Amino acid sequence: MTDARLRSVSAILALTGAGIAAYLLQVRSSGATLLCATGGCETVQGSRYAELAGIPVAALGLAGFAALFTLALVPGEPARLANAVVALGALGFGAYLLVIQVAVIGAVCQWCVATDLVTTALAALAVLRLRPESHRRETPRGAHPPRRARAAWRG
Amino acid sequence: MTQLRLIIVLAGAAVLAATLVAASLLSAGEANTSTPAPAASDLFAGVPQDGLAVGDPDAPVTLVEYADLQCPYCAEWAVRTMPALVEDYVRTGQLRIVFHGLAFLGPDSDKAVRAAIAASAGDRLWNMVDGFYRSQGSENSGWVTDDLIGQIAAQAGLDGGELRDRGDESWVDEELSRANAAAQSAGVQGTPSFELGPTGGKLELVELSSLDPEGLTPLIDDLLE
Repeated sequence: MTDARLRSVSAILALTGAGIAAYLLQVRSSGATLLCATGGCETVQGSRYAELAGIPVAALGLAGFAALFTLALVPGEPARLANAVVALGALGFGAYLLVIQVAVIGAVCQWCVATDLVTTALAALAVLRLRPESHRRETPRGAHPPRRARAAWRG
Repeated sequence: MTQLRLIIVLAGAAVLAATLVAASLLSAGEANTSTPAPAASDLFAGVPQDGLAVGDPDAPVTLVEYADLQCPYCAEWAVRTMPALVEDYVRTGQLRIVFHGLAFLGPDSDKAVRAAIAASAGDRLWNMVDGFYRSQGSENSGWVTDDLIGQIAAQAGLDGGELRDRGDESWVDEELSRANAAAQSAGVQGTPSFELGPTGGKLELVELSSLDPEGLTPLIDDLLE
């Protein structure tokens, strides 16, 4: 898969993650009830781990996904490296929060698990983008075929 | 070069994740130890209380609150909205509020709500509820201590030891069961939840749009018209 395609998929996933984080943030600020199939969302979102130095974790998630979306739009090596750092860092923090949910809070929030899955996919794509073969450019549509193919076409 | 890139990425990710984890643990730890001493509140001074209810029994509108005393949203609502409701509607005899305490968050919820219900025997439940919200610690950290109950009870003019003893009586168990049954019957799925309607009439579960007074006052005004 080319870097452009990996970036497109990453951008869609980052938007999905941002949507979930925005929903959690909106519910938190409005006091509305969370849609929750696991029954643990309110407990997790109301726990002391739902904030980090006074900032809701959902807001950090929204900022993280916004950064990953922006980095997915930018081609080139610096953006690729930054994307991998943010995605893998988020994956590590997400794993920590999952452990906290299971081992400390004793409840699991389905929305947190959903963002963990999105983050895992984003981290995998970020690692794929680091592979040298993903850096090759696709031949643009309508461009001339490569020299060797052109020679064969001429017979 | 590829190996160097990998090292840069892994080191950067590790630093980022470690920073977030450390900040989270520090923040949670501070929340765990920062249970403030309760400050006396005169919110309900001079307002008639009767068991689980506060306000004039003949008030035209009744609001029922379903809450867990450990729930942060409940505490936030109590701080942001309750004073406005008491001043503008309860004191003026237009609104009566009934408290249904739930204890789904854990042992500290149970201990606090039992003390609050026990205080309803002396018509001081709302003073206890207000005191617990204003002293709220992190869930099940043991923040509902006997000392805390004693302090809040003393401010309400009650005896903490007596409240703790009464909290284990069978009528308190029955009151908790009634609150749970009422919550299930009303379709309550989270806290805080509210039912609103004409006193003695059919109450409707409210879809709360905000933790601020504006989340309820337009609905109350409609009923008062």
